[in-house]
Amino acid sequence: MPFTKFTNLDFDQIKTSIKDYLRANSTFTDFDFDGSNFSILIDTLAYNTYITAFNSNMIVNESFLDSATLRENVVALARNVGYVPRSKKAATARVSFNILTSTTSPQVTLKAGLVCIGGDGNSSPYIFSVPEDITVSVSNGVASFENITLYQGVFLNKTFTADTSLNQRFVLDNSGIDANTIRVRVGNRSYSVVDNLFEINKNSEIFLIQEVSDEKYEILFGDDVFGKKLENGVSVRTSYIVTDGEDGNGSRVFTFSGTVIDSNGVTVDPDGTVSVTTVDAASGGAEIESIDSVKYFAPRVYSSQYRAVTARDYESIIQQIYPNTESVSIVGGEELDPPQFGTVLISIKPKNGTSISDFAKTSILNDIKKYSVAGISQKIIDLKLLYVEIDSTVYYNSSAVQNISNLRTNIINTLTQYSNSVDFNKFGGRFKYSKVSQVIDNVDTAITSNITKVKIRRNLNAVLNSFAQYEICFGNRFHKNPQGYNIKSTGFQIAGELDTVYFSDVPVPGSDIGILSIVKPTNVPGQFQIVKKSIGSVDYVKGEIIVNTINVTSTSLDDGVIEIQAFPESNDVIGLKDLYLVFDVSKSTINMKKDTISSGEQISGINFDSTSSYSNGTLTR
Amino acid sequence: MVQRVSRQFKDISLSFDMHPVTKDILVLKNEDAIKRSIRNIVQTLPGERFFNSTLGSNLSKSLFDFVDYGSASSVETQIYNSIVNYEPRVSNVTVEVSPRYDENAFDITVYFDIIGQDFPRQEFNYILEATRR
Repeated sequence: MPFTKFTNLDFDQIKTSIKDYLRANSTFTDFDFDGSNFSILIDTLAYNTYITAFNSNMIVNESFLDSATLRENVVALARNVGYVPRSKKAATARVSFNILTSTTSPQVTLKAGLVCIGGDGNSSPYIFSVPEDITVSVSNGVASFENITLYQGVFLNKTFTADTSLNQRFVLDNSGIDANTIRVRVGNRSYSVVDNLFEINKNSEIFLIQEVSDEKYEILFGDDVFGKKLENGVSVRTSYIVTDGEDGNGSRVFTFSGTVIDSNGVTVDPDGTVSVTTVDAASGGAEIESIDSVKYFAPRVYSSQYRAVTARDYESIIQQIYPNTESVSIVGGEELDPPQFGTVLISIKPKNGTSISDFAKTSILNDIKKYSVAGISQKIIDLKLLYVEIDSTVYYNSSAVQNISNLRTNIINTLTQYSNSVDFNKFGGRFKYSKVSQVIDNVDTAITSNITKVKIRRNLNAVLNSFAQYEICFGNRFHKNPQGYNIKSTGFQIAGELDTVYFSDVPVPGSDIGILSIVKPTNVPGQFQIVKKSIGSVDYVKGEIIVNTINVTSTSLDDGVIEIQAFPESNDVIGLKDLYLVFDVSKSTINMKKDTISSGEQISGINFDSTSSYSNGTLTR
Repeated sequence: MVQRVSRQFKDISLSFDMHPVTKDILVLKNEDAIKRSIRNIVQTLPGERFFNSTLGSNLSKSLFDFVDYGSASSVETQIYNSIVNYEPRVSNVTVEVSPRYDENAFDITVYFDIIGQDFPRQEFNYILEATRR
C-alpha cells in the first residue's frame, strides 16, 4: 500500500489510502460501503490521521515568521529578533484651559484620568485623559493649564503585589492599551520604560513591555543584573490608557470633565464653566500594528538594528515612531542640487491628508535623534505631490453598448480603482502608460480603442500679497513644442494688473531652456497679450520651472493654489526623489467617441472621426 | 441496466465480542452485514459522519411528532431515501411504517433484495420509539 503521504490534508485521500491497504491485506470486504461497521472504524482512523496532519502542518507554519498566522505566534517570533510590535496609539490633542477657583492652596493638581470629552461636532464623543497628574500654581485665583497633551481613551489602574516565590507575571487585563501611556510605580518609586539594555545596571529602576496573547501587555522587571529586582510583598501599581485608536482622530471641540485637587487632596470645584481652548485637534491615533506589518518590519528593523543610517533604516524607524505614516521618502542631501552634505531630507505622506502638523514634525525629529548617526541632521520637508492627469478619447462600438454615460462612469470608476493601486500613492511610484491604456480598453467589450494623452501637474501654493520666488520641480522631462504653449496654468492675479493672468512659455531656439512669461487674454478670442516677459525660466530637460519674484494677490482656485501643467516627454511618469505620485482621475478628461467602423456605419472608414495623439489647443489649463 | 454484482459481504461486529471457537472477533456476513449497514445508515444523523454531511436520515427530528399516518409517511420517505442513496448492495426496497398509537411508537419493516447474491427477499423489523417520554 502506498501510504507514504504522511502529511496529506485531504480526508478523502487518507480514507482511500486506508481502504487500499485493507483491500490488499484484509479478509473483510465491506469497508467500501458507507453504512458498514468497518466504515465507521475507517472514518475514525482517517479523522485521527487528518487531525494529526493538520496539527503538524499548523505547528510548522506557526514556527516561522513568514507563515505564522496567529497574532500571538507572529508577535512571539518577532520578539526573537528584538522587535516590539507597535501598540494601539491614542489620538493626542493639545488644549489649554484656566480654572477659576477660590481655593487658598498655592498649587492645584489635575488628576490623572478623564480630563475632557471631545468630539468633532458630528460623530459620537470620545473620552480624553492624561496618564499622569499635572500640578500648576494658582495665581490670583486662576490655575492655568497650558498646552496639556490629552490622550484619547479611558484611564485605568491595576495593582499587583509582588510575590517572588511564584513565577509571577504582570499582565495588564485590557486589550487596546496605548503602550506609551503605561506608567509603573513600585512602592513609591516611579519606574521608567526601556526598550534595550544600554546603560542599564543592577540599580536601574526600569521595566520592559512585551505583547502577549489577545493583544494584551505584560510588564517585565529586572533581575538585579539588568535592572532592579522586585522585592517580595512590594506593591506594583500600574496605570494605562485604553484607547479607540484611529477612531479618536479629528476631535477638536472639548468640554472639561476633569478632577482637580488642592495641595491637601481636597477636590477643587471650578468657579463657573471651564472653557477649553484647542491648540491642536486630536490626531495621530492608530490601530495596533497588523500581523502583516509585523511580518514586514520585524526583519527590517532587526537589520537596521534601531540605527538610522541608510535610507531603508529611516523608512522602518519612521514607521515605528509615527504610525500614521502611509509612505516615506528619504533623500540624502548629497543627491540634491545643489548638494546639502550632512542632511537627510524626510518627506512623509500621512494616512489621513497630505501634510503633517508642525507639532508632529518636531516630535518625529526629536524621536529620530535617538536612532540617527551623530553629525547628521534631519529635515522634514512638506510633501510635494506630482499629479498625473489623462485626456483620453475612448472609441466604443455603439451596437454593443446600451448607455454611453454608464460606460463612461464605469471607465472613471475603474480608473479610480486603479489610481489606488500600488503603482501610485507612494514615493518612487510610476505611472505606466501602457497599463492605463489597457485598463481603459478592458473596462467593457464595447470599447474598441483609446487615444490617451498624459499631463503632469503640480500645485503652486502662492504666498498671497507678498513678493516671492517659486521653484516647481516635476522630476520628469517636459515635451518641448518649439512654438511654446508647453506650460499652462490656472488663472491668478498679480499686483499692478487687474485682469486674470496665466503662465506661458516660449523655448529659446537651440537650447533646452524656455522663457516663462505672464500673459492675459485679449478681446480677440484665442489671442493673448504678454503682461510680463521673462518672469522666469523653464528647464525642459530637468522638468523644472523657476518663477522670479512676483507678487500674487489672488488666485482663481481656492487657498492660493495655481495649478501648473506640462506635457511629459515620456508617457511613463515617475515620482522622482521626494515627489509623491498621484493619479488624479477627478481632473482627467474622458471623451466618448463612436467607433463608426466597428459599429458598422462606415465600412470604408472614409469619414472616420480621428483623434490627435498630440496635445495642442488652448494656452491656459 | 447494469447492476453491480457483489462478492461475499463480510463486516466486523461493533460489539467486538469474541467468536467462541476461532477466538477471533465476531464477523457479520452477507445479509446480516447488509441489515446492520442499513440500520447504521438510518440511525445516523446527517452531519454526524466526518466530511460526509449528507449520509444518514433525519428520523430523530420526527421524535416529537404525532404518532399518526402523516408522520409515518414522513418516516417512511426518510428511511427509503437514505437506503436507496447510501446502500448500493440492495434493490427493490420497500419500507412499511405503521403507527402504534398506544405505545407511542412506529412499527417499521424494511424489505429488500440483495444484488448479485442468491438470497431470498430480506425483511427486518424494528420498533421506533422515543426513549424518554
